[in-house]
Amino acid sequence: MQFGRGPATVIGCNAESQATLPRRRGWAYFAREYASSTRPASRRVFLLSNCSQPSRQGRFVHHIRSNSAHRAGFLAGALLLLGAWLPLGAQSFPPPPSVASPPPAMHEVVDEFGRNVRVPQIPARIVSLAPSLTETLYALGVQDRLVGDTDYCDYPAEAQKKTKVGGPINPNLEEIAALHPDIVLVTKEINRLETVRALDTLGIPTYATDAHTVDEILSSTQKLADLLGVPEAGKSLTGDLQARLVSLHTKLEGLPPSRVLFIVWTRPLISIGKNTFIADALRKADAASIVDSTQDWPQMNLEEVVRLQPDYLVFAAAHSESAARDFETLSSLPGWNILDAVRNRHFAVISEAVNRPAPRIVSAIEDLAHQLHPAAFLDFPTPEKPAAPVTPAPGAPNPPAAAPARVTRNVLQPFIQEFACAR
Amino acid sequence: MRPLTLTRLLVRCGILALILFAVVVVAMKLGAVQVSLYGLGKDLISVLLGRTSALSSDYGMIVLGIRLPRILLAIFVGASLSVAGVSFQALLRNPLADPYVLGVSSGAALGAIVALIIEGHLNLSPEMAGLITPVGAFVGAAITIAAVYLLGRRDGQIDSTTLLLGGIITASFLSAVIMFLMTTLSGNNLRGSAFWFMGDLSTPQPRSLQYFLSFGFIVAAGAIYTTASDLNLLLAGEKEAMHLGVDVPRVRIVVYIAASILTGLAVSVSGTIGYVGLLVPHVMRLIFGSDHRMLIPASALGGAIALVIADTLARTVTSPTDLPVGAMTAAAGAPLFIYLLRRRLS
Repeated sequence: MQFGRGPATVIGCNAESQATLPRRRGWAYFAREYASSTRPASRRVFLLSNCSQPSRQGRFVHHIRSNSAHRAGFLAGALLLLGAWLPLGAQSFPPPPSVASPPPAMHEVVDEFGRNVRVPQIPARIVSLAPSLTETLYALGVQDRLVGDTDYCDYPAEAQKKTKVGGPINPNLEEIAALHPDIVLVTKEINRLETVRALDTLGIPTYATDAHTVDEILSSTQKLADLLGVPEAGKSLTGDLQARLVSLHTKLEGLPPSRVLFIVWTRPLISIGKNTFIADALRKADAASIVDSTQDWPQMNLEEVVRLQPDYLVFAAAHSESAARDFETLSSLPGWNILDAVRNRHFAVISEAVNRPAPRIVSAIEDLAHQLHPAAFLDFPTPEKPAAPVTPAPGAPNPPAAAPARVTRNVLQPFIQEFACAR
Repeated sequence: MRPLTLTRLLVRCGILALILFAVVVVAMKLGAVQVSLYGLGKDLISVLLGRTSALSSDYGMIVLGIRLPRILLAIFVGASLSVAGVSFQALLRNPLADPYVLGVSSGAALGAIVALIIEGHLNLSPEMAGLITPVGAFVGAAITIAAVYLLGRRDGQIDSTTLLLGGIITASFLSAVIMFLMTTLSGNNLRGSAFWFMGDLSTPQPRSLQYFLSFGFIVAAGAIYTTASDLNLLLAGEKEAMHLGVDVPRVRIVVYIAASILTGLAVSVSGTIGYVGLLVPHVMRLIFGSDHRMLIPASALGGAIALVIADTLARTVTSPTDLPVGAMTAAAGAPLFIYLLRRRLS
């Protein structure tokens, strides 16, 4: 048979004149259009039927039906392929190569995932796959043993100089393996289970942390210190943080919590769920998130926010100017300017440290408490006063029951102001 | 063009296989960690001789432990998507048909996500848990292709336009369902799914799954290849093929099931990767003509070559951070598709 460059007729149906091919028969119609094309090669691109010599039709059909030789050829090829795959696949995961020939003292620990992890008594080469873990390592003073971290590990500034292994979600396994770590630290919060499984396959031990509250952050830090062989550093660090939290708690005791909206993202409006450590950090600062969601990063409806009327908007930002700019943008948007907190400029900007389950979160909590409850800290000098001149009267948080009347007034007010300005 | 003989078929496949081999060697050399060609060759030889203990640890772990499995995965996924594409194009007699456009990839993705959700509730052993995703992806792919096929039928014949529109609409509907599942369920299993949607080969698969995948590929692609000559006749139209003695319903069933298996397997390990299944068959048709006995193996090899190249670029362009490979195939595939389209029109 032949698959010629000849006229682009349709296989096996030359008996039918091309001119009478039914129009609705999609493919044949398609094929006919190509017949007028002049370039043989390009013609074939979108064309599936471009073969056969009319004169040979009888043999063509016979031939095409009896091509067992081709099938045999394909099967042979397939078996070859499978054959090539199997030995390579079998060899592709050699047992963990003997990196350190004198095996150091190993011990087994249980990570916060409930897995047993075998690590050297004092792990000498650590890779961190989360910014929070990198910060914790620096706080524990073991930064010299940190041999690799992620693109997002930017605090403290020296952490940026460490060997980078990619992002927390898509780290480069080759880069990690090349660092020959004794342990890779991950968090359930931002790393993927697949990464952990892949490292398991490579024989690289991983230790996972999973903190949902501020207290868990502290206990998790202590466990990490034990794992890395620096329990005393862990005790002094967590003891200090605990003491600061306790002193903060005594100052804030008895004050009514401010109702706040923590803003992760403004477009779309993303806040935090009640089970996150951020929500717990807010509670430690005597602030209650108005969002009652079990999702970790719920997308909020602005109507709902207006109904709930938070006392304060809380931004977490690296630079307070950028948060202020965000706030100015928001206050010019319809809907947002209905919010009392926006009109009264009740917003707090804290360090982005609050987003990371690391020791630095305690500073962010203190900062937030200072901004939300300045009265509680009057006996101490506070450098920055919050933007709001008036603190909300403790006895009168906006009760939702009073909502209808308030909303009406709030809706009208910006229009009135605008109108006044226009004149 | 000269007639297709077994020799010619094998020679052409041999050439493609050599190109694939060369590409694989280059891909094994390139990466975040520098490897010399000499060391690579030495290690490969010691692997082939069965002396794994002679490997230097970096090469053994990084090249053979990480890079090679990923390349093999790219070969397998590229070959699967291309063979699925070429068989959909032949069966539906439509040059635009490919797993991505027809919504089969989205269906497989939805199936995989549902399987992940179910897996979270079932508490399965790790081996079973590894296999439940491919099975879910296959079921999703099979249901979707059946639905799209029914949508595309008119008066007992496939109508190209209706079919494609049906596929596109189905795909966007399924994406909406996936988005819904992803926003309402924030389980840990679903982390990184957004990444997965762009196609992602960076996640190594467990060994059992690799064997399962290669076995599934050989069976499904072999099944499609046994219908190669029937597919040639089917290009003329279903009725015409039937007159020429093709058992059309049987071919249709075989090809649908096999192509759904291929798509489901590929999607379950790599997410949705576009353009490979669409473009590679067209390029192969341009080079080798449209005889499916040649086209199917050529597409398998060509798809493997294309995806290994795309994945190597994805690994190296912004090293050490990986790009999703789907972004690479779309970035390279869309302009190439436009070029072929314009060339055809002029």
